[in-house]
Amino acid sequence: MKYLLLLGMLFALGSCITPFEPEVTESQLSYLVVDGFINSQGISTIKLSQSVNLQSNATIPERKAIVYIEQETGPRYQLPETNAGTYVSDQLALNSAKSYRLYIKTGTGVEYVSDYTEVKTTPPIDSITWKATDRGLQLYVNSHDANTAARHYRWAYDETWQFTSAFESLMEYKQKDIVFRKDDIYHCWGTEKSTAIRIGNTVKLSQNIVSRYPLQLLLSNSVKLRYKYSILVKQYALTQQEYEYWEALGKNTENIGTLFDPLPSQVTGNVHCLSKPEILALGFVGVQSETVQRIFVARNELPRSWVAGNGYSYPACSVPDSVIDAQRDEAFKFGRYIPILPIYKGPTNELWGWVAGPLDCVDCRTRGTNVRPDFWK
Amino acid sequence: MKKFYVRYLLLLLWLSGFSSYGQVSTSPLISLNLDKATFEQFAKEVEAKTSYRFFFDPTNVQKVAVTVYETAIPLDSVLRRTFKGSNLRFAVDIRNRVYITEGSSIRTELPIGYFRPDGGQVAYEDEPATATQSPRAKARSGGTLKATVAEIGLAGSATGKTATLAGHVRESKSGEPVIGASVYIETPNIGTSTDQFGYYSLTLPVGRHELKIRGIGIKNSKRLIMLNSDGKLELEMEEDINTLKEVVIEAEKDRNVSGMQMGVERLDIKTIKQVPTAFGEADILRVVLTLPGVKSVGEGSTGLNVRGGATDQNLILFNDATVYNPSHLFGFFSAFNPDILKSVELYKSGIPAKYGGRLSSVLDIATRDGNKKKFSGAGGIGLLTSRLTLEGPIIKDKTAFILSGRTSYSDWVLHKLPNSKLKQSSASFYDVNAHISHEINDKNSVYVTAYSSHDQFKLANDTLYKYENLNGSVKWKHIFNNKLYGVLTGAMSRYQYNITSEENLVNASRLQYKIGQTSAQADFNYFYSSKHTIDFGVSSILYDNMPGSLSPLGAESLIIRDVLPHEKGLESALYASDRIDFSPRFSLSIGLRYSLYNALGPRDVYQYLPNVSKSENTITDTVSYKSGQVAATYHGPEYRLSAKYALSDNSSVKFSFNRMRQYIHMLSNTASMSPTDTWKLSDADIRPQVSDQIALGYYRNFKSNTIETSVETYYKVMHDFVDYKSGATLLLNHHIETDVVNAEGKAYGVEVMVRKLTGKINGWVSYTYSRSLVQVNSPATSDVVNGGKYYPSNFDKPHDFTMIGNYRFSRRFSTSLNFTYSTGRPITLPLAKYTIGNATRVYYSERNEYRVPDYYRTDFAFNIEGNHKVQKLAHSSWTLSVYNLTGRKNPYSVYFKSVNGQIKGYQLSVFAQPIPSITYNFKF
Repeated sequence: MKYLLLLGMLFALGSCITPFEPEVTESQLSYLVVDGFINSQGISTIKLSQSVNLQSNATIPERKAIVYIEQETGPRYQLPETNAGTYVSDQLALNSAKSYRLYIKTGTGVEYVSDYTEVKTTPPIDSITWKATDRGLQLYVNSHDANTAARHYRWAYDETWQFTSAFESLMEYKQKDIVFRKDDIYHCWGTEKSTAIRIGNTVKLSQNIVSRYPLQLLLSNSVKLRYKYSILVKQYALTQQEYEYWEALGKNTENIGTLFDPLPSQVTGNVHCLSKPEILALGFVGVQSETVQRIFVARNELPRSWVAGNGYSYPACSVPDSVIDAQRDEAFKFGRYIPILPIYKGPTNELWGWVAGPLDCVDCRTRGTNVRPDFWK
Repeated sequence: MKKFYVRYLLLLLWLSGFSSYGQVSTSPLISLNLDKATFEQFAKEVEAKTSYRFFFDPTNVQKVAVTVYETAIPLDSVLRRTFKGSNLRFAVDIRNRVYITEGSSIRTELPIGYFRPDGGQVAYEDEPATATQSPRAKARSGGTLKATVAEIGLAGSATGKTATLAGHVRESKSGEPVIGASVYIETPNIGTSTDQFGYYSLTLPVGRHELKIRGIGIKNSKRLIMLNSDGKLELEMEEDINTLKEVVIEAEKDRNVSGMQMGVERLDIKTIKQVPTAFGEADILRVVLTLPGVKSVGEGSTGLNVRGGATDQNLILFNDATVYNPSHLFGFFSAFNPDILKSVELYKSGIPAKYGGRLSSVLDIATRDGNKKKFSGAGGIGLLTSRLTLEGPIIKDKTAFILSGRTSYSDWVLHKLPNSKLKQSSASFYDVNAHISHEINDKNSVYVTAYSSHDQFKLANDTLYKYENLNGSVKWKHIFNNKLYGVLTGAMSRYQYNITSEENLVNASRLQYKIGQTSAQADFNYFYSSKHTIDFGVSSILYDNMPGSLSPLGAESLIIRDVLPHEKGLESALYASDRIDFSPRFSLSIGLRYSLYNALGPRDVYQYLPNVSKSENTITDTVSYKSGQVAATYHGPEYRLSAKYALSDNSSVKFSFNRMRQYIHMLSNTASMSPTDTWKLSDADIRPQVSDQIALGYYRNFKSNTIETSVETYYKVMHDFVDYKSGATLLLNHHIETDVVNAEGKAYGVEVMVRKLTGKINGWVSYTYSRSLVQVNSPATSDVVNGGKYYPSNFDKPHDFTMIGNYRFSRRFSTSLNFTYSTGRPITLPLAKYTIGNATRVYYSERNEYRVPDYYRTDFAFNIEGNHKVQKLAHSSWTLSVYNLTGRKNPYSVYFKSVNGQIKGYQLSVFAQPIPSITYNFKF
């Protein structure tokens, strides 16, 4: 018996999972990444960064580069650096009959260009519609174009929603004193940019019409639907080449290693190094205009049966804590604990202590902003 | 006792240095001058001057003194004189080996031949060749020669110059047919070999012949026959109960050179049993993997890559039923119980026209028929598995059964362990085989086989894998006449797996996959004349494939049920081939197979825009087909040609060309930790795979056929085999055609092998250089991988070196050492991370640009046989083995996972340490 066990253990211990670190040199990992597009009717914003190795969580912006939008046999427009690695053009109106490319000269003097690309004029968004389905709120985009030249589309969106923190704090700790709070840290707005790649085409249709393209699905218990939700949809017309780029890129996300994941693929884009073609650059710079549309969805428009969560975890933000007054400095001076209400005790209503909660449960600014967005209705 | 063995072993070690120089057939005379020499001195003297080699226990001959003053006398007279009055006995075999024993019992166990007192010639036995007569033990043990002539047909009834003799070769003890035994006469040189039923048919000139029979596991024999007219001769051969390698080899010793086939490896169970394995159990697939040109993708995986082909390009037949997953526990055990196997044949090139449906190889596994004479059994007890086989007659000499089962108790062991992670793990399997053979009469026989295996596997996580094979076949063999027989086969196979994930209630789900096939075929052998052997037949296979379904488990699961529709297809073929022996030196086999495939409804087929890459966005229409309606048809010829030219008695050149077509494709996701493979039938979008292979080989045997060498080279092109687009999703894809592409492939290589199968040291060394490359380049539809260049396939492992070495100390003790090296397989690596469109993306290398570390492994085994007393309750043996002696961490899978925003690579090594094991085997 013991004997069997011993050998059984040998079997069990025989297998092991060890880190696998392939020999890949650092120079093979650091490529210029170009994120953005040439806006033919407006301001172009290009973000330049460097790719990093897989273990790193850092982002390395590409600073001090010289960036131009160049017209094929024509003028060029500079994009000065605003924030680190962000290059922004003036308001431009490009000639839709011409082709344009992006020219980049990095701080170290390496020159990159994107391929010359024809200008695609994006049709306006007809409407953003939604439907309350069994699973939640499904948002759709609708568009059409009498011009049949641009049949490939990409959409991106910014979502904004109103929310409140778990506890409403009326008090504020200020230099060892606790006073009534003046600013509202209970009502806030959260914002998220789309990360999923949303593309569609009308190639197989006889008319260039996008009808009810499913853009985003919000589960019925989503915190975004608790008070009011808004989505700003941006539409871009693409060349077929760019469409294929986004299609492939969509499959190369960070999710890897599970059974249902797609097989890896190599995606580069249309940016090349001028001086040394073997130096790789990542990203696709398209040339198109952008059309946008925003809608709002309020709680009272949604089915009554839907119960949206408050987005705070249980049990950390379910019941507030209490702090005796003698310990207030210790508790509140680092700002990780926030007083909510005073607690009075006894017949004399003497101050006993404070109802308090962790910063994240009390201050909604940890998850958004308490400044009402300009567009909020 | 201990001392005895030490001396004995030392002696044999010393002797082994000479053992391979043994010469055949002549009995040299000796000239010696010795006065009261010890027997050892005498033996040394004789060995120095002649080809005699002595085998004896020094303690037995201590008291012997040898005195000789003579020239040119036969050895036997010296020995007889010397041993007179003692109880020592001697025997000399065909290779002039002299065995000295006490008492007289060794003779019956001697491998070949007997000393004959008169004239020093090596004796042979002549058996009277009346139908189904058992060998006459008396005649043998007496060592006398008593020739009986078997009369075939009535004297004077001869109608022509030739007559056909046919029958079966069987083992006398069990009645099992002997496969691949040579039945031939030498003047003129006419011969054949027995088929899978032990059947032979020979067309000979009428008259008196000396018919010779040689085969695996039987003693070489001769029969004197008088052939008057067509007739039947059933041959019962005595089983060679020794597991001495000589016998096995002797039977096949010039097959390498003289056989028609090239690119064929035939393994008998004795060879298989000698190779050490992970858990001490003989494993056919592991032995097959050591052969040149055969590789596997990873450790513990029994998926075979034969000559640059994918793992789905091998037709694995178990008594003619197709096996879809030939392994247990993700490949750590092969699915076949070694005790019931008879032989394994692997065809890499020169594939006979009878076989079709896969591109790369055919692995034909045959079980034994069961003992027709008496009830017997065999089994083994190992650390993780046990097995038991029972066999015996139902009707003596007519009907036999063989029944075997194997189960693991690894589950039980895992649960006893004081490690919570391991306690949650489980790994178990079982398999059951049943086979019945029945001889209705001389002309008709029926064979029924059923096989079932079940596996489940869970490794310290929440996911439970289960898979099952279920196979069955029924064969009816009918002999029309001496020249023609036919076999009608019906078979069914089913393979299914499911993967259950229950850890997270919200995601609890079950993924299921299932494929089944039902087939019928008729094969005929026609021995037209001694120059022509014609095979022809027809076959049809109906496939039913359920490509996958995902269903929620439990009330809380939010998984949406997703079921892919069934696929059906019908594959039919017609073939004929003729083997022409132009001369003993030159023979040719030409064959043609014509196969036809119909994709059948019911199914909905998407129509795509022409000339653009197929994707969800280019679907234009859906066409519905009713049940049984043909949705797509493919057909084409498959040419088979092989030729042999003997340059001399011990060297030959062979050439082969074959075209293969394959209508069923495997989709394999190798990027995850545990691969889940599904099969896909050809349809309107996925064309059949076609390959052409040419192969050329040179074969030469040395030292009386005891050393075989071969060099084979091949070049293969593959059309339309399935590869994946970048970013393909393989599981639960409702339009898989948008994610796969028909790729072009080419493979080429050289395989060199040196094999020594006789002597105390035996085994083989093989080296293969091979490449397997793929190209995906259809610019019209912009389906391009790696810029349209050729890139290494998943199993491209250029260098491969294998050594299997066995050293036999004595009949009872032997050791094996096994060494394997190969280049690591190609892999696509994630290289860098970057942010585009607000999300983190991964930049991957070109497909298969990198490689995992090289693979090497050393295994060691030590076998102890029980004593060789003929009469005892059970014969037993022990196997001690150490798998992966050096403890190298060879990767089973390499995969990447996102952990806290960091992408980390992991390598799963299944046997990262030396794995010792001990197995007890028995036979009764």
